[in-house]
Amino acid sequence: MSATAPAAVRPGTSADAILGVVPKEVYSPSTVEEAGAVLEEKARTSARVGFVGGGTALSLGRPPARLDAILRTDRLTRIVEHAPSDQIVVVEAGLTLASLQRAVKAHGQRLALDPPLPERRTIGGLVATNGFGARRTRYGSLRDLIIGVSLVRADGALAKGGGKVVKNVAGFDLPKMMVGSLGTLGLVATATLRLHPLPDSDVTLIARARTARGVREVVAAMRGAQLEPAAVAALSAEKGLDVGIRFEGFDAGVKEQVGRTLDLIAKGAAACDVLDEAAAAAFWERHDAARTAGPLRAKVAMLPSTFEEFSERALPALRAAFSEAALAAYPTLGISFFSGVPSDDVAAAAAVATVRDFLAEAGGSLVLEEAPAGVRAHADPWGPPPASFSLMRELKDRLDPEGRLNPGRFVGGL
Amino acid sequence: MSSLVGARNCISNPSDLRTYECDGLTSFRVTPSLVVLPASTEEVVAVVKLARERGLPLVARGAGTGLSGGALPVPGCVVVALTRMKRILEVDLENGFLRVQPGVANLDVSKHLGPEGYYYAPDPSSQSVCTIGGNVSENSGGAHCLKYGFTSNHVLGARVVLADGAVVDLGGPALDAPGYDLTGVLVGSEGMLGIVTEVVLRMLRKPQATRTFFATFPSTDEAGNAVSSIIASGVVPAAIEMMDRLAMQAAVAATGVDWPDVGASLLMDVDGPLAEVEHTSRHSVALARKAGAIEIRIPKDENERALMWKGRKSAFAAVGRISPNYIVQDGVIPRSAIAEVLHEVAELSKRADLRVANVFHAGDGNLHPLVLYDARVPGQEKAAEELGGAILRLCLRLGGSITGEHGVGAEKVAYMGEMFGEADLETMHRLRCAFDPERRLNPGKVFPTPRLCGDRPGPYKAHTTELSGEATRG
Repeated sequence: MSATAPAAVRPGTSADAILGVVPKEVYSPSTVEEAGAVLEEKARTSARVGFVGGGTALSLGRPPARLDAILRTDRLTRIVEHAPSDQIVVVEAGLTLASLQRAVKAHGQRLALDPPLPERRTIGGLVATNGFGARRTRYGSLRDLIIGVSLVRADGALAKGGGKVVKNVAGFDLPKMMVGSLGTLGLVATATLRLHPLPDSDVTLIARARTARGVREVVAAMRGAQLEPAAVAALSAEKGLDVGIRFEGFDAGVKEQVGRTLDLIAKGAAACDVLDEAAAAAFWERHDAARTAGPLRAKVAMLPSTFEEFSERALPALRAAFSEAALAAYPTLGISFFSGVPSDDVAAAAAVATVRDFLAEAGGSLVLEEAPAGVRAHADPWGPPPASFSLMRELKDRLDPEGRLNPGRFVGGL
Repeated sequence: MSSLVGARNCISNPSDLRTYECDGLTSFRVTPSLVVLPASTEEVVAVVKLARERGLPLVARGAGTGLSGGALPVPGCVVVALTRMKRILEVDLENGFLRVQPGVANLDVSKHLGPEGYYYAPDPSSQSVCTIGGNVSENSGGAHCLKYGFTSNHVLGARVVLADGAVVDLGGPALDAPGYDLTGVLVGSEGMLGIVTEVVLRMLRKPQATRTFFATFPSTDEAGNAVSSIIASGVVPAAIEMMDRLAMQAAVAATGVDWPDVGASLLMDVDGPLAEVEHTSRHSVALARKAGAIEIRIPKDENERALMWKGRKSAFAAVGRISPNYIVQDGVIPRSAIAEVLHEVAELSKRADLRVANVFHAGDGNLHPLVLYDARVPGQEKAAEELGGAILRLCLRLGGSITGEHGVGAEKVAYMGEMFGEADLETMHRLRCAFDPERRLNPGKVFPTPRLCGDRPGPYKAHTTELSGEATRG
């Protein structure tokens, strides 16, 4: 590593701040080896280091305790390998999702992951934050799509886990260890991902103005009928929830599933329409807008069956404390994103606490993905640490013994 | 120990202990000091705590069907057999999960859910006996993981007894609990991070329709090309299995399945909504014909389909009909390299003068070469092991893996250093130390070289006992 050219570096400014903490220096290594050299050097000076990809999730978590340097992945944007016939791709962390999709589309493939802001979101950032969109309904999350990872450890060592083949159980699962670890265990340097064929056909239906119970009934009816939607998302509307149901695949299969879904939902005697291409695009844009709204945004996870009770008992507390309250929910996953403008910071934090109390009983969680400083002062973005927290602490201590990577930002101050 | 689990559930008689001296990899045997069969998490905790006081290594075990020696005892160890813990504790259809004890047999989960129209997707060939706990340890696969994924994609959480006797719940039925994905880390950790006493599994709704076909080919070249063109066309088969001539002959001998004597065959399932399945099965059959299929058979009914799958799933055991001994290998290659690899395997086989039967999950490139030999002939066992090793190295050379679903276990530790570098292994070792700093859980597996955890976290340094040769691997 000593032979590696030094990475580009400049002084940090307020534009580089993570949750208000301004780094002294900002590095942009152009190779994974350079990134290793930077971290090795930072280890010698016990520097505190954060990582930045597309910068779309910088409001996630607690402010870092200290930041001496930020390592940006904006120059790590190569596609290392794409093997179309094996349906895998190896990419550097700083490649945006949109760039990846464009490159593999030429071969009739895609990464089956559709979070909002694909032009800005990077693969490394998505891995670090476990980013996902509505297609998680069918294809799972990054933990189901990542098959290999290389990471740069706190001491600068470059380590890899997993491999380049879809099926592989050799060694411990470092790729899953890195998913959602928010740069606290190491820098995601490259990721190896499983690709899927692009579908021939893609149709979205909409069932409008549903209650939470109505959404539950739609989902149950589709499951009963063995329908296999690629995505189901419920968005708050002027009245109730609009449920978008997306089918993808070969034409014949999509047509037949769309027809059966219309029959099923019509039995429930409420409006259900097939959207044309423009209207479908507009629905999913509305979904993305709800997922990126602010200034407060919370991810709420619970058992799918709890959504109805959540809407009756917990959601009113949130609605009362926020204006412009909006919801984007994935009813088959039990995950919802709430956003709004707090009318009063203390009241907003109290509403978050009320919802957390409800979720504690129901076995769920609420994470503030974005929140004004005033709300943060009264509400921990992660909520209470999980039952396995002491084990998480052990893991962090083993991978980053001096606690130098993104210090204090993750769950329980990890 | 007998006061903790009851005398009847404690095995110390030397002849009874021999039942536990190996798993499905019978060429590796070590007799344990003691076997305990606890009935609850509390009993496991008591056993683990006592073992800790006495400094005894622990080896957890399910049905012992593993093929890599993952449940191989170490000298002086206590084997914790979880086969008495076989209750299904909770079934929640609406939320799509169930909670089971580790000793439940894989197939019993699907049988339990069947009447409700649900099932558990991972289906290792040993599924009628292998346990969920063992599946979690090894991240077991099966024929249908091409479309549905492996055990790790279907485990939502687990209750685990750690090496110090602490009980911890990882994950759970609700998704995305804040923090590290310790459930993801646990699955496939080969019993080295903790002893699993409860598992939360994801269940799937049964697909509306399944279509199966069996196609024969002059050689593995045409069969391999058929696999490539089917997958390139955008079809995601539920399963696509290849057998070569020798494997088919063995299956015929063992099960009486009516298969012709040809160079290769494919057995393929597509499943999903009816209209989709009709399209993809027709399309796949056409592609198989175009690739040079001799004959396509479509089962008339569920019985015929079950027989075809029985032929495939019994292929490993069936090889016993045509050879006194055999080694099952478990390498992975990029699936586009199938034809090339099989030619090289044939070449290696010829050079070693040993027959190799090939059965594999062609869709995901997971080879199961069965190296046939006769242990009575001096030198043949060693030659067979060397041939197996040469095949694994071939997989690595092509960018693949030394194990797709059987695990590293005790069998493939020597190859880990060829697949992974020192920093990779050392990082995995740190993960182990976070869970089990005394390295008493299933020692001797996965890692090829001696490693200690160190008293406090820090960069790895060889321990003095290790340098003097006092400490052993693991």
